Amino acid sequence: MRTETKRIIKRLLRNPSAVLGFSLLIFFTLVAIFAPIICPPQSYNPYMIPIATWDKTPQPPTAEHPFGIIDGRDIFYGVVWGTRTAFKVGLIVTLVSTLIGLLIGSVAGYFGGWLDEVLMRITDIFLSIPYILAAIVVTAFLGMGLNKVMISLIMFGWMATARLIRGNILQVREEQYVLAARALGVNDYLVILRHVLPNTIFPVIIQATMRIGSLVITAAALSFLGLGAPIGYADWGSLLNFARNWLLGSSGEAFKYWYAIVYPGVAMVLFVLAWNLVGDALRDVFDPRLRG
Amino acid sequence: MRSDTVEKSVLSVKNLKTYFYTEDGIVKAVDGVDFDVFEGETLGIVGESGCGKSVTSLSILRILDEKGKIVEGSILFGGIDLTKISEEAMRKIRGKDIAMIFQEPMVALNPVFTIGEQIVEAIVLHQKVDETTARKIAVDLLRKVGIPEPEKRVDEYPHELSGGMRQRAMIAMALSCKPKILIADEPTTALDVTIQAQIMELMKQLQKEYGMAIILITHDMGVIAENADRVVVMYAGKAVEYTDVKTLFNDPKHPYTWGLLHAIPRLDIEQTRLYNIPGIVPNPLKFPSGCKFHPRCEFAQEKCRIEEPDLEEVAERHFVRCFYWEKVEEAKSKEVGDRR
Repeated sequence: MRTETKRIIKRLLRNPSAVLGFSLLIFFTLVAIFAPIICPPQSYNPYMIPIATWDKTPQPPTAEHPFGIIDGRDIFYGVVWGTRTAFKVGLIVTLVSTLIGLLIGSVAGYFGGWLDEVLMRITDIFLSIPYILAAIVVTAFLGMGLNKVMISLIMFGWMATARLIRGNILQVREEQYVLAARALGVNDYLVILRHVLPNTIFPVIIQATMRIGSLVITAAALSFLGLGAPIGYADWGSLLNFARNWLLGSSGEAFKYWYAIVYPGVAMVLFVLAWNLVGDALRDVFDPRLRG
Repeated sequence: MRSDTVEKSVLSVKNLKTYFYTEDGIVKAVDGVDFDVFEGETLGIVGESGCGKSVTSLSILRILDEKGKIVEGSILFGGIDLTKISEEAMRKIRGKDIAMIFQEPMVALNPVFTIGEQIVEAIVLHQKVDETTARKIAVDLLRKVGIPEPEKRVDEYPHELSGGMRQRAMIAMALSCKPKILIADEPTTALDVTIQAQIMELMKQLQKEYGMAIILITHDMGVIAENADRVVVMYAGKAVEYTDVKTLFNDPKHPYTWGLLHAIPRLDIEQTRLYNIPGIVPNPLKFPSGCKFHPRCEFAQEKCRIEEPDLEEVAERHFVRCFYWEKVEEAKSKEVGDRR
C-alpha cells in the first residue's frame, strides 16, 4: 500500500497541471485558514465585511485597502473571508448531495427491479427541471440566506451522482467477486459497502471534485441575483453583485472600476480552475487502465 | 442411496426446479435434478454449456439473481430444507457449511482488496476471532494451499498473482471456515493444463484432510473420470443419468452420456473422424416437447416426442432418464463387435 501511495504522488508531481491545481488549492486553503490573521474581524460576525466608508462610490486600491472599496466595504476583506464561504458552500453542498446520490443510486443499482424503476423515475423528474431556475424558485420559497441557497443546491444536485453510481453498480454487480462474496455469506449491505462501492467510487469522487468548483459559480450566480448571502456578507458572488452598477465607468473611462470585478472574479476563476485541475489529476491517477 | 447405511448423505437434492422469469419468457434452467452428496466424496456434475450445472450450484447456496426462483423440490442439508429457511439462516450456512469456488479466478477476487483482506473477511464473518488471529489463520491457509512466501503474498493484490495462485487463494478463502461441502464450479477450466492437474491434486488432498464433500461441476469428462466418485449427467436442465463414475464410463445407459463418451478421442483404435452428437443444445426458451434430447438422439422413437421419461433406477444405484436405454446397450455391444 505504501509503495502504491508513493507511486501515485510521483505520478502527480510529474504532471504540471496537477501541481498547479494542488498549489492553488493549498493556497486557497491557507487563505481560508488564516483569514482571521490576514484580515482581523472587526465585529462579532467575522463574515460581515466591515464598513470602511459611507461613500457608496467604488474607491480604487490604496495601501490600506489593497483591492479597493465597493459599496463602502473593503474588497480585500471580502475576497479573503469569501474564500471560507466558497469552501463552505462547495464542500458541504457537494458532500451532502453526493451522499444522497450515492445512497439512491446504489440502492437502485444493486437491488434493481421496481425499486430501481421508482428511484430512477424520481431522478428523471428532478433532472427535467432546469437547475438554476429550480434553485432560484426554491431559494425564493425558503427565504434568503446562504443556508437556503445550499439547501436548494443540494436538492437539485444529487442526480448526476445517482445515475453515475447506478450505472457503475449495474456493471460491477455482474462481476464474479460479488457473487463470490455472497457465496461466502456476506449480507447485501456489506456487499454493497465493501465489494461494490470501492470498485465504483472513483468516478464519483472525481465528478464531485469537479463539481465543487462549479457549485461556487452557481452559488455566486444566485448571490449575484440577490438570492444568496445577505448584503455585506463576505461572498464573492455578493461582491460581484455590488459591482453590478459599476460594471462600466463614465464615458472615456470604461474600466474605471475594474478592481470591483477583477479581484473577486479572479478569485472565483482560480478557485474553479483549482478544483477542475485536481479532478483531472485524480482521474489520471485512479483510471483503472493506468493502474497496476 | 436407499439401502446403504454406511455412507452418510450430507446433501440431498430432490426434484430441484429453478426457473428464471425473464422478459422473453420462463427459462427452465434447472428442471428436475436429483442427487445425493455423501460425506467425504466427490460428486461430479457434467454437461454441456447451458445445461443448468451452474444454476444448480447457485440454487444450493440460494444466490440466484432476482429473476431466478426455486419453484419446486428440496435441498436437504443436515435435516434442514435449504429452500425453506430464511435468508438470514441461509447466510449463516453460506461460506461456513457450504463454500464455493468459481471458474474464473481472474475475476472472482475483488481487485481493490489484498488477498489477505479478503480471506480475513471470510474468517471474521463466521468465526469469533479478532483480525490479528484471522490474519494468522489466513497466512496458514495460504501456506496450506501451496502459495510460496505466504507472509508476503497475503498483502498482495489479486492482479499481482498468477491465475493458478489466484485459484489457490480462492480455495484458501473457501476453506477458511472448514466447510462440510465445497462446490467447485469449473475450478480448472480457465487454467492451463499443468496447473489444472496441480489444483485438482490440491483439492483432493484438502478433501482428505478436512473430510469434506466436493461438488465438482465441469464439462470435462477427463476431469470427472479422474476426480469424481459419483456423477450426475445433465442435459437441458435435467439429470439424465446418475451413477458412480466407473459404471458411467464402462456402462453408460443414456444416449446422451453415450454420445459424450463417444466424442472423446481415443488413441487405441483408429478413427478417421471424431464422433460428435448431432445438433446443438436447445434454446432454453423453446425446449422440445417430450424428451428434451429426442431431436439429437439416434434412438428416438415416436414416444420420445410426446412423453417425457422419468429418472428410473435401471440397475442398482444407476438412474437413467430414457425409455429406450436398452437400445443403447444393443448399440454398444454391436460397436464392440464391429471394432473386433
